Amino acid sequence: MIVTAQKPLDEILDFLSPYSSILITGCDGCTQPPRGLREARTLAQLLELGGKLRRKDFNFKVMTMPKQCDSYLTAAALQPQIEDMEAILSLACGLGAQTIAQVLPHVPVFPAQDTLFMGAEIREDSTLEERCAACGDCLLAMTGGICPIARCAKSLLNGPCGGSQHGKCEIDPEKDCAWDLIIKRLEKLGRLAALDEIHPPRNFGEVMRPGRVKG
Amino acid sequence: MKASDNQPEFAVKLNDESCSKCALCYSACPFEAIRKEAETGKLFLEIEKCQACAICYSSCPAKAIDIVYYDMSSLARYLENARDEYRSGSLVIACKGSTPSFEDVGKLFGISEFIPLSVPCVGRIPAEVLLEAISTMGIKAIYILACDEDYCRFERGSLITRLRVVAVNALLEQLGYGKEVIRFKQRSLKVKADRNKCISCGNCVFYCPYSAAKLEEGAATFDLELCRGCGLCVTLCPALALDLEDWEEERISTLISKLSREKTRPNILVMRCQWAVFPELDEEFDSSVHIIDMPCAGRVDPLHILEAFRQGIDGVLIAACHEEDCGSKRGSKEAQRLTTALKKTLSQIGLEERLHFCSVAPRYPESFREELCRFKERIESIPSQEVRR
Repeated sequence: MIVTAQKPLDEILDFLSPYSSILITGCDGCTQPPRGLREARTLAQLLELGGKLRRKDFNFKVMTMPKQCDSYLTAAALQPQIEDMEAILSLACGLGAQTIAQVLPHVPVFPAQDTLFMGAEIREDSTLEERCAACGDCLLAMTGGICPIARCAKSLLNGPCGGSQHGKCEIDPEKDCAWDLIIKRLEKLGRLAALDEIHPPRNFGEVMRPGRVKG
Repeated sequence: MKASDNQPEFAVKLNDESCSKCALCYSACPFEAIRKEAETGKLFLEIEKCQACAICYSSCPAKAIDIVYYDMSSLARYLENARDEYRSGSLVIACKGSTPSFEDVGKLFGISEFIPLSVPCVGRIPAEVLLEAISTMGIKAIYILACDEDYCRFERGSLITRLRVVAVNALLEQLGYGKEVIRFKQRSLKVKADRNKCISCGNCVFYCPYSAAKLEEGAATFDLELCRGCGLCVTLCPALALDLEDWEEERISTLISKLSREKTRPNILVMRCQWAVFPELDEEFDSSVHIIDMPCAGRVDPLHILEAFRQGIDGVLIAACHEEDCGSKRGSKEAQRLTTALKKTLSQIGLEERLHFCSVAPRYPESFREELCRFKERIESIPSQEVRR
């Protein structure tokens, strides 16, 4: 899922200040917690309170849609809601806000979120952790299902480095050393030999940035 | 308002002098809070374990137990006054757990006028109160609404009451008052799910303390046999696809709007778990304090808190059970987590001081009032806010 964090209310209030009638669009897609109807209503109330303190009255309308990054669905969902709205505040990730910008060329759209990374959710710890870097050349078969590109601070292909301390990374003792995890897991699986194989250098040009797939 | 000086420290007290050592309280207590000394048969109350359900009180044949809430004399006083106020000979005693409001209780029993009496568990009502109400206080019929036995917050309260009603009815019949003078019903309130709004995020599946939720065929489904109606899933549903019977989101919103219109200053809203604070029958606060009892602190919804602020409430106090007392396992803990998160966001617009979370327990009768006094003082010390309409 895409991990996002809400922008400070002051920042949002700043860019909304020229407008009064604003549509807040939630997205039920892949963020966790989903930035759907509940989040949209919560943000509307917070901004209304924040606005009053600045002596500014907003008129918010809230809605949500299944996937804000889908141009067709988003256009269809926005169509009946957009009349009389001066601006849109998107609760989705950067993709959602940009899709709205594309399908509604005449309406200003603002992000309510900062988009952080692609993360896995570890519910029991209430943690979202970056685990895939979308590198375009998946190594998981070799590394026991643990990605060193996303989870090693140096994206090493032949770790661990000297900064691995008691299974933790030297840059942040809260974070596991990915290579420590890889080696322990392969050991457990009896597949440590997978690391003996010599691999040619990775092709970091597998996805030409900006990425695009047509079909 | 100040905490009263004459309130006992604990909600329940065993009196050695009048105790006959029959140990009925020891057997009846659902929480093993009463200890029996093997040699002497003397009984001791371990207040830390006590949930103040008062099942011991209602069971004690020697009247050797004192309680703070709903003791016989305050019940008698209430009935005395209520009879004139409601001008009815029918009394409805309902557990808060099954009946947050009395709106549809009349329909359930097929009566239109009655004296309402709301208690935290009907198991605390002694048989004597039922008998006296009929024999000396002019009550013609009593209707008791308990929770379903499997969902009783105090485990045995509903069961004990059912048995008690059978016995009292038999006695009343022998005394010539007729058959089934006391009618008894049980019900429990459950989650309501709207499949069309569900986005299959799985939050309810993860958070339900009773594993009542499952994701099936693209939507959350609930096993209502397992649901205990705590409402935590409703609070955490990002799609607003869930609701709780009789504690509907809209009912709480309407209540908040009504309370917000009171032009007192400061205007304080308390959302409290109905099991964390047992109101006394004559509970009175000054007019600036508005109280909404919730099924569990886990149903205290950040959206409702914000609604309250938006409508001019100056301060919101959340009163929850201590984590270890929470009857719905994680309700109190999640309520604290949600309040902390909301305070953090509110701090960005300078309103964080206006929201406070506290843990209290009915076994300490003064704990809630003390928290409320402190909170009110704090709110009074904050300069009047701009958000007020």
